[in-house]
Amino acid sequence: MANAERVLTLYDLPMWEAVERGKMALQKCAACSAFRYPPGPACPQCLSLDHVWEEISGRGRILSWVVFHRQYFDDFPPPYNAIAVKLEEGPIVVSNLVGEEPEGSWINRPVDITYRRHLDRTQHAFKLSGSAAGR
Amino acid sequence: MTTSSTLSGAAAVIGIGHTDWKGDHARVRAGMKPHDSYGYAAQAFNVALADAGIDRSEIDGLIVGPTTAYERVGEVLGLDVRWGGQADAMTAVMEAVLAIAGGMAEVVALVYGNDQRSAGTNYGGTNAQGGGAFLSYVYHAPWGFTSQGALYAMMARRYMAERGISEAELGEVAVAQRLHASRNPHALMQKPIRIEDYLASAYICEPLHLFDYCLINDGGVAMIVAEAGRAKRIGRKPVPIRGIGRYDLNRGATSLEPRLLDYYHSAQSRVAAQVFDMAGLGPEDMDAAQIYDSFSLHIPLALEGYGYCAVGDAGRFMRENGISLAKGLPVNTSGGHLSESYMQGWNHQIEAVRQCRGEAGARQVPDCRHVHYSSDVAGKAVSIIYGA
Repeated sequence: MANAERVLTLYDLPMWEAVERGKMALQKCAACSAFRYPPGPACPQCLSLDHVWEEISGRGRILSWVVFHRQYFDDFPPPYNAIAVKLEEGPIVVSNLVGEEPEGSWINRPVDITYRRHLDRTQHAFKLSGSAAGR
Repeated sequence: MTTSSTLSGAAAVIGIGHTDWKGDHARVRAGMKPHDSYGYAAQAFNVALADAGIDRSEIDGLIVGPTTAYERVGEVLGLDVRWGGQADAMTAVMEAVLAIAGGMAEVVALVYGNDQRSAGTNYGGTNAQGGGAFLSYVYHAPWGFTSQGALYAMMARRYMAERGISEAELGEVAVAQRLHASRNPHALMQKPIRIEDYLASAYICEPLHLFDYCLINDGGVAMIVAEAGRAKRIGRKPVPIRGIGRYDLNRGATSLEPRLLDYYHSAQSRVAAQVFDMAGLGPEDMDAAQIYDSFSLHIPLALEGYGYCAVGDAGRFMRENGISLAKGLPVNTSGGHLSESYMQGWNHQIEAVRQCRGEAGARQVPDCRHVHYSSDVAGKAVSIIYGA
């Protein structure tokens, strides 16, 4: 086993640099204003190659969640959760819910982005809107 | 959308073969290494050739599975051909039909071997298999989100909540397929299970249980596909390929949009129109379905996607109508990936052929004329209709 590693293409690096500063940013198409994720060379909506990096609001809603009961990485001992969040800007990101966990279904719960240190990097996580900051 | 009816019945399966999954699995678990992927492929090919009752010299096309190099398989099997390629099970069948209909080959061997168990192939974690082809398999690792099972678990949670499907209803898949495997001497897992066993089994990635996951084992499968006229002349019991169809969802694939917002329905419903039109048949004409089942969730998605039941009705359909040899539409009559053998869609093809031939023994579907194969691996929907 080993630790979980990032995919770091040319287009991913600016996003992770923004996360390191605690200000997650995504590419916004300079032609049609669509946000995209994962980062990439062209806008899937209009094919424009021009973009700007824009900090996201950090607000979104949980689309779905899972709980891992098996270990796949040294740095992720089970049990732990993963969530899919539909960002206010449009794209879906996978992350972790930290702090308070909802009773019952997590689907559609509003969440806010937060940041935490993981090994040698900063990465995003989400917490329920209105709850105290994550661990 | 236009479809080409000239493809319907243009080719037929004349030979099938597979390795000793059960015996090899026991040997691998005892620490032995019976073959590598090429060895399993060669074994399966020999069986298929004998089943077809033809000489190797009749073969003029070769398509190999994604786990082996095309040239090396051809070298191992001593096959020089005028048509060739490498593809997954479903695409291999489609390509064979297209090559034959286009006059590029007349008798195509489809050969697959995989030593995934003895080689320790990982489908999650670092170097998760398939990550080179599907970015979603590796992209979310920094959050611990890995394995194809987790991708389907994420999909299952939302789908079940939205459609009102209970865990017990999803469990119908594992229970039905285990019943089928109990009647299949080649199946790895032959001990019947009940819904209570399913519900009591451990979660791997919640909400999916152990029994929702496919097996991991070594083995091989081969098929011989021939031009229809030639098949009639040389084949023992040719099984025509009546329809093929495909639609790939690529947009938003890594961020899971087709999984979480569409459940692949738009792709499967498009393929349904294509494949049923081509075959001149509908879901009501299908005597059995073979559905790619790396995870149980594939089954309700396909039942809805291909019109076996209404959207939102899969839970009730599986529980009340039934998806087993005992009741309703028999799905994955061999036990499928969950209970027979994980041959990445290849075992489903030869099971479809066996059922159409009437050679499925204790698990034979009575008067089986048409069998529908479907897969939705990573949102790439493919269908094949086999039968008279």
